[in-house]
Amino acid sequence: MPSAAVLGPVVIPLLAAAVIAAVGLARFDLGRTAGAGGAWGCVAALLALWLPVRSSVELILGQLGYGSALDLRIDGVTFAFGLMIAVPIAVLLTLQPRAWPQTALSLLALAAAMAAVEAGGVVLTAIAGGTVATLAVVMLETEDPRAPRPSWALLLAGWLGVAWVGVILQVVGGTAVYTAVPVAAITGPVFAVLAASAVIASCLFPWRTWLAVLWRRPSLRAAAVTIATVYPLGFYLLIRAYELGDGRYPHPLFNVGLAVLGIAAAFAAAARAQAAATRREFFGEVIPGFGGFALTAIAIGTPLGLVAGLILLATASALVACLALLPDRAGIASVVAVAAAVGLPPGLAFGARVVGVEATFEAGDFLGLIGVASAAAWATWMVAGARAIGLPGGRGRPASETFAGVAMLIATLTLVAGPALAVIQFGMANPVAAEVMQATAGTLTGGRVAVVTVSSVLPVVTLFVPLLLIGVVIYALTDISAIRTQARPAIFRIPAAASLERFRAAVRAASVPDQYRTILNLKQLEAAAAGGSPVFWLAALVALGFAVTR
Amino acid sequence: MLEAGAAFVAWLGMSVVVLADGRRGLALGIVLVTAGLAVIVFQGAGPIAAGALGVGGAAAALRRLTHGPSGWRVMPPGSTPRVVLCVAAGILVLWISFSATTAGDGALRFVILTVLGLSVARVLSSDEPSTLLTAIALLALGIAATVGIGSVAHGLGAVTQSEWPYIAAALVAALAGWLPVRTANVA
Amino acid sequence: MWPESAEVVVFTAFALAFALTFAPAPTQRRSLMFRGGVGLAGTIAIATVPTFELSLLALLVLGVLHAAVNGKQSFATRLRAPVLAVALLALALVLARAQGSDVLGRFAAVGLVAGLAAGIGLLPYLHPFDPEDPVSASPIAWFAFIGPVLAVVVVAGTHGVLGPDAGGAFGATLVGVGLVNVAWGGVAAWSTENTIAAWRYSFIADWGLALCGFGLTVADGRRAALLVIFSIVLCRLPLYVASRQALREKALTERPVNLVVAAALAGSAPFAGFAARVLLLRGATQMFWPLGLVLAIAMLLWLPGSLRLGRSLGLPRGRRALGVALVLALNVAVGLYPLPLLQAAGQ
Repeated sequence: MPSAAVLGPVVIPLLAAAVIAAVGLARFDLGRTAGAGGAWGCVAALLALWLPVRSSVELILGQLGYGSALDLRIDGVTFAFGLMIAVPIAVLLTLQPRAWPQTALSLLALAAAMAAVEAGGVVLTAIAGGTVATLAVVMLETEDPRAPRPSWALLLAGWLGVAWVGVILQVVGGTAVYTAVPVAAITGPVFAVLAASAVIASCLFPWRTWLAVLWRRPSLRAAAVTIATVYPLGFYLLIRAYELGDGRYPHPLFNVGLAVLGIAAAFAAAARAQAAATRREFFGEVIPGFGGFALTAIAIGTPLGLVAGLILLATASALVACLALLPDRAGIASVVAVAAAVGLPPGLAFGARVVGVEATFEAGDFLGLIGVASAAAWATWMVAGARAIGLPGGRGRPASETFAGVAMLIATLTLVAGPALAVIQFGMANPVAAEVMQATAGTLTGGRVAVVTVSSVLPVVTLFVPLLLIGVVIYALTDISAIRTQARPAIFRIPAAASLERFRAAVRAASVPDQYRTILNLKQLEAAAAGGSPVFWLAALVALGFAVTR
Repeated sequence: MLEAGAAFVAWLGMSVVVLADGRRGLALGIVLVTAGLAVIVFQGAGPIAAGALGVGGAAAALRRLTHGPSGWRVMPPGSTPRVVLCVAAGILVLWISFSATTAGDGALRFVILTVLGLSVARVLSSDEPSTLLTAIALLALGIAATVGIGSVAHGLGAVTQSEWPYIAAALVAALAGWLPVRTANVA
Repeated sequence: MWPESAEVVVFTAFALAFALTFAPAPTQRRSLMFRGGVGLAGTIAIATVPTFELSLLALLVLGVLHAAVNGKQSFATRLRAPVLAVALLALALVLARAQGSDVLGRFAAVGLVAGLAAGIGLLPYLHPFDPEDPVSASPIAWFAFIGPVLAVVVVAGTHGVLGPDAGGAFGATLVGVGLVNVAWGGVAAWSTENTIAAWRYSFIADWGLALCGFGLTVADGRRAALLVIFSIVLCRLPLYVASRQALREKALTERPVNLVVAAALAGSAPFAGFAARVLLLRGATQMFWPLGLVLAIAMLLWLPGSLRLGRSLGLPRGRRALGVALVLALNVAVGLYPLPLLQAAGQ
């Protein structure tokens, strides 16, 4: 395989976007075909590059001008994240009709996201990630300027932070290339900035963030593409951080801190989900919830946790496509989607969460407690899911962008894929662990039928297949037409939520008190500066002179 | 002694420019400054440089003599701050030129600092185009005279023995007075 | 003539060519050709003359000519800042060349920075501004046409003139003045009511970054400053010129092009502004890492203002649309691959 082929997953959607834009400017819309072709071409290129060799392919061109060479690489991490990003977008572009600018922007976002995960170094990832953030905002704003969207400043803050980490590594360690950064360069402060940036880039917080708010938009076309491209990148950085640190974070406290943040995010999402007024609102919390669980699993710092986190992310990626295609009405599709979202046995989410909780217990110490908290959060999700089945659907969406059958198919696939957990671990997650945790990744065994850990064996095929059959039987015996959709009270209220909301409102409304406004009158200061007042200019000169002679 | 006298004449000329509003007063100021500068520059940079400054200054003075508010108008009512400015600036520049700096070209430094400082003060405090253009002409001559200071070999402080800065400054000074300027165009 | 000043002169020539090609009315084009041609000749003179005195004289002439062109402000008001700039730079020159204590060198550094700020029109020496002024008669000409060359000439010229002590003071003063301009420009571009004034503040904020880059006294800082200047001259200026018609008509649109323009103005990836910011962070990290943190936070100030500026472009059509597309494409190219530009400048 020529190394130039690594350009494929980036260039194919880019070319497709260019063709769509060029033809669109000539007032001809190519429709879904070109968009789908570009996105599926990206998926195909990724598969064609990785599957035959299953080892890294790298392309290094010359220096770009900011201390980084054009270094693109496809390895296990790139493959896994590339699929997580590209497949849902390909599904969405294939099914949902869009105006050509939206299709072109979606493909550009896909290309940028692929560049972010193919980038060989931190600075390049930051530039590509920043591009994804920019395109996401452009896409959302042009689809519906009045609908909620993430704060551009927040997204850019994350990527500026990553860029800063990159340049620190270049200055301190001589390079920001993931495979070449000296371990000594990943100090506590540097990692803290990296972790904070990653958390901001994906908005992994316990409060309601844009991830949930996007689900309130009248149309979910741009929202789904945004989540598919932006959300995984923060996790990508946290996983690459293991590679930078030779398989571990600089201090165990970082593992604990991130794991606590993750479980707080998962539990908070569950708490909001159980109080949701509509099913759409419930679904809005699904991706943040998955993210919280995935963050906890990844932060544990063991190959098993990493694998569990990756499978959770992959499931979340499938659910992004599923939920974006799901209509806001009751029916079998909604029920199956809820089941897949809450991690009902024997789905993929169920298996990954079991493995994740087990990984916390195996890690021991404080992380064991996090495992207990994970189980509690998961139970809350189950209850919230049961309640959500009977909730009103939501505000309704354009029929042209919903495909109940396909949504149900995706949800069903994530449910029936539970027994294939070991296969997914073997084919997609283990190579990632082998890439970033080379020292310890050998502990992952079990082949294609069982997940073998240090302390136990999870025979997924023999355990999950009967569970699946039981589930099918139960479904066959259940009459879902008896479900009444109606407003339902929340199961519990978060005690501090109201106070927190009041505090946020007070901060938003904060202003300079009247009696101090004359002191801070910027217009007067500017009038003095621009008016050519000799006294002001002389005073400025004296002040500068005074400053440099101190 | 000649240098000290020339420096004093230049300061006096600048003071006249600061204190006068009429074209005769301004023209006299230009003549005095040009004379003082030319004498000092002649010592260090030679006749071509001094001649260029002299010609430029003379042209500026001639132009000023024919254009601008008529008469002398030296020290019109309310000129006390200007007088204070001229005296204070003279003392401050004297201290900088002969005490804070140590090289031998103190008179040149004195003249340059005086011309630069008082020209800017005049530009900042006046709205009359003839006064402004007078100050600009003198500022150009002052800038050219900085060529004679110090002995730095490279960078923006590099000192060259070229006469071009003097000739260019003379051109600027001579032509500045011809610029057509709106008296006021405030919306 | 330093390679980077030659490159900046080329930038300004391109900007003028852009304005001439995409200026909407033939009458404006003729006026712009004359004034822009004089301005370009002046900037070439500033960059190419063999001595700094001649550069100052060229600057003085430009300042006088610019103050004399038709505008809403009086000749006297518009003349003040350029004359102050020339005088401060000349005074700094005298102090830099004179022999004496170290304090003289520091005062020379202050004079250079203050003169530069006055020449460009930055805080604390803002040029008078009237939103109704044509571009060639407004302070924008100093921000984006004369200022870049002046800055490069002054900063490049200080090397070897100021001693280590004064050189440090020069850098620190540049960074300090730069940060003040970043904060002021960023906040004011966001909060001011007049959109044309917001454009002017956005230039000030950009210049703040450029001054920080120049003040870092490491190669990456100067590279960053060069890229910021590139984005001022070949991104912000052309887009401002392209937006003048929509600004007069007070047309605000929210099309993809407006947001892409906003991203370019905000220095988001993948535009040249982001590469400049990466280099600036790199330079700051080499010098004093907390400065990197301050800069990273300050860089977020661009976003809110840029959104309104992007909307003020309106919906460009025909020749104007082509011009905007060219500007955006050029900025993406330089943002992703700035090396040729930096190498040409000898960086």
